[in-house]
Amino acid sequence: MAGGAREVLTLQLGHFAGFVGAHWWNQQDAALGRATDAKESPGELCPDVLYRTGRTLHGQDTYTPRLILMDLKGSLSSLKEEGGLYRDKQLDAAIAWQGKLTTHKEELCPKNPYLQDFLSAEGVLSSDGVWRVKSIPNGKGSPPLTTATTPKPLIPTEASIRVWSDFLRVHLHPRSICMIQKYNHDGEAGRLEAFGQGESVLKEPKYQEELEDRLHFYVEECDYLQGFQILCDLHDGFSGVGAKAAELLQDEYSGRGIITWGLLPGPYHRGEAQRNIYRLLNTAFGLVHLTAHSSLVCPLSLGGSLGLRPEPPVNFPYLHYDATLPFHCSAILATALDTVTVPYRLCSSPVSMVHLADMLSFCGKKVVTAGATIPFPLAPGQSLPDSLMQFGGATPWTPLSACGEPSGTRCFAQSVVLRGIDRACHTSQLTPGTPPPSSLHACTTGEEVLAQYLQQQQPRVMSSSHLLLTPYRVAPPYPHLFSSCSPQGMVLDGSPKGAAVESIPVFGALCSSSSLHQTLEALARDLTKLDLRRWASFMDAGVEHDDEPSVFVQRSSMLQD
Amino acid sequence: MFGSSFQPAIAAREAEGLHPRIITEGFEAAKIKALEVLEEVKVTKEMKRKVLLDVARTSLRTKVHAELADVLTEAVVDSVLAVRRPGYPIDLFMVEIMEMKHKLGTDTKLIQGLVLDHGARHPDMKKRVEDAFILICNVSLEYEKTEVSSGFFYKTAEEKEKLVKAERKFIEDRVQKIIDLKDKVCAQSNKGFVIINQKGIDPFSLDTLAKHGIVALRRAKRRNMERLSLACGGMAVNSFEDLTVDCLGHAGLVYEYTLGEEKFTFIEECVNPHSVTLLVRGPNKHTLTQIKDAIRDGLRAIKNAIEDGCMVPGAGAIEVAMAEALVTYKNSIKGRARLGVQAFADALLIIPKVLAQNAGYDPQETLVKVQAEHVESKQLVGIDLNTGEPMVAADAGVWDNYCVKKQLLHSCTVIATNILLVDEIMRAGMSSLKG
Repeated sequence: MAGGAREVLTLQLGHFAGFVGAHWWNQQDAALGRATDAKESPGELCPDVLYRTGRTLHGQDTYTPRLILMDLKGSLSSLKEEGGLYRDKQLDAAIAWQGKLTTHKEELCPKNPYLQDFLSAEGVLSSDGVWRVKSIPNGKGSPPLTTATTPKPLIPTEASIRVWSDFLRVHLHPRSICMIQKYNHDGEAGRLEAFGQGESVLKEPKYQEELEDRLHFYVEECDYLQGFQILCDLHDGFSGVGAKAAELLQDEYSGRGIITWGLLPGPYHRGEAQRNIYRLLNTAFGLVHLTAHSSLVCPLSLGGSLGLRPEPPVNFPYLHYDATLPFHCSAILATALDTVTVPYRLCSSPVSMVHLADMLSFCGKKVVTAGATIPFPLAPGQSLPDSLMQFGGATPWTPLSACGEPSGTRCFAQSVVLRGIDRACHTSQLTPGTPPPSSLHACTTGEEVLAQYLQQQQPRVMSSSHLLLTPYRVAPPYPHLFSSCSPQGMVLDGSPKGAAVESIPVFGALCSSSSLHQTLEALARDLTKLDLRRWASFMDAGVEHDDEPSVFVQRSSMLQD
Repeated sequence: MFGSSFQPAIAAREAEGLHPRIITEGFEAAKIKALEVLEEVKVTKEMKRKVLLDVARTSLRTKVHAELADVLTEAVVDSVLAVRRPGYPIDLFMVEIMEMKHKLGTDTKLIQGLVLDHGARHPDMKKRVEDAFILICNVSLEYEKTEVSSGFFYKTAEEKEKLVKAERKFIEDRVQKIIDLKDKVCAQSNKGFVIINQKGIDPFSLDTLAKHGIVALRRAKRRNMERLSLACGGMAVNSFEDLTVDCLGHAGLVYEYTLGEEKFTFIEECVNPHSVTLLVRGPNKHTLTQIKDAIRDGLRAIKNAIEDGCMVPGAGAIEVAMAEALVTYKNSIKGRARLGVQAFADALLIIPKVLAQNAGYDPQETLVKVQAEHVESKQLVGIDLNTGEPMVAADAGVWDNYCVKKQLLHSCTVIATNILLVDEIMRAGMSSLKG
């Protein structure tokens, strides 16, 4: 398409979605900051796809994510709903009353020191109350994190992170954050627990209009809107919010791609019966409705299963994480997400969202699974063919859709992305004359190696592959998960001493496969075993259908046929 | 507040060992009597502008400070009068409320036309057009990926090129139809031509339209489409087949205003607009929200008054009158039900008491004064919030909605009754467990 970037609008619905989103935007921001670095390859990924340019009332240029997020009352902590970028202290004061005054002051949330440090690193609140950004080198985005003059930024400790805004490094547009005042983020009562409650939030004219207005604001200015990516929590009432939002988008913006990522935080424990049942019901209803209104749906979770019985979380060979910390889980999922979404964010020859969805929705099945190898295990001195050979015949990636092991399942179509391998390592470095140990070693380009590998592994699968030089940047506040890697992400024997990991190569895939078939069947089975009359409170929260298990079984077979 | 004020009275009665059913019978009787009083005191008037100003002012002055309330009063009344169409119920949805975060709350005004929160997306399109034709439509003018998988329809790059060109031609033809119409109706005159599309318009089409002197707005909000037709005349078209001058609306002035990164398009000087915009202005989100809430309440108050065709004096006057009537009435009730009537009367007096208290006066003292004045003058007397003294509400222009008061009497009685009877049922249940 000649002309500008194919814009994408991101929706983040829910608190865990906020965690994944925070890591996601931190990553985009890290990539922006490096744009002036000569060593980097000139933009493979186009930031205008995800970001928008803007201007404050004082004529300051801004570059903020094209984002709408919804979260519950009390979830923001010390982040202001309208952000810091467009603030103007003068506008805050206004005379509204002439009579006597009594002041009641609400206790402020304890200020997050990390947030304060971030704000002061970015800009300065001048004496007239206007917040001005410090000089921007390339006209876009934030300046590099460390310069000669600024001290090293404050990194939040893992224990201090309670909400996603505790580690977000990016300024959001005032129109991004939409709080649902009706339900509480914390506390005993008034939680958004059920799918039906979530749906009814967006049925209320107040919230529906709010969402419509914000959508209008971001979409109207797009010249080539390609679609929407929705990050949505599935385990609580936000599954209902997501379902309704997807319906709204499909209605209003037909023809655009809608790719939905259903998130499940985990881990779950057997003892909490009600929580598990609610999670099951929310996930089931969420998936069914989201699939009806999206172009593509992919569950993302580090848990072992989607069903009632919690399974242990997945393991990665070169990555160590704490499955109880949303901070860790969301970081890993964000890494995978950043990798598998590459096709529709490329600068040259992008695959549009609609095209990607078409390719992967084999026979109308719109639910796909995701998998990733984080980091891609390239040892020093190895070439890409060597590394790929080491996987043998096994599936190289760890499953990320809570669908169990992919072995023994059939894959129909896949979109694969490998990023962060140095160009010199793309092909084998054998001395001429040596017989190549495999057909991979005979290939002349990295793209050929990758295509050949996929062809060998899964001969009857329609594969689309992309090879990128840009690695995944591991900049603070990304957690320390890679203990046995070099700063450039090479896997080493033993733990290296010294420099922290700065970037890693990642291998990610989206597959339309039959492993989801089995998972959904198991989900349907779990549902039929439930006596739904016991969970009347769930149904009363606005769900209109009768006889739920059979509806789900029927719909899930639609997903599978 | 009225409903919950029953609680202490109920508790007291219960302590005396009175059966809940008898109390609720008393409530029912009291309610009927109170409704009678309401019918007697309501004032039926022709809802002229002056009267509606009083109703609006009463409502708005309880929500924002006086100076702002007076500015809003006129705007709100005139907006309802503008959208009122004979033979149709008043549709408040036709009063658009648009907010602009700048200037002061008192700069809020009524626009006899519409304000859209976006503008033309091409640098060459004029920022100000006078005497303009308006085309309102819901037709896609942008290249859209078709539903079918691309690989199915073409095999080579040339074939793909051909397909893309065909799609483009499809849209170019549509754009041409607009240009043809514009040339026809604007002919030699200086008239302007503005198109407001609910769907999108891609950069190529914008360019073509700009070259022909057409101002184009894209992705208009769905809820504005009906308002646009009512404001400018003209009909929203879904296709460009059979485009004629009869489809078009008109506005005397269309101009764009930029506020930071936001653009607003003002469509004004419409002949007889039946949809208008209240442009809410203020320095920050809090003020804007406060004014919007106040406006919404004011609009409803006026609509109620027009549809009721009558009003009742405010400032607590009718509550005082009703309580007085009930106290007299209870003497004609036999048995203990009269205690229910007394409870109802006491509950009613909460309203004037709270009014007094919020204004900073002693509630009991003020109430006594008002009640005495009511008995003596036989007029409907409420509380003057500026002085704390009794005043004749109607003379001061303080009015409440008839339908609202009526509804309150019904629903509060029902709520209070239900609460009482639930206790009874629960007690009955528990005693059956014990026994």
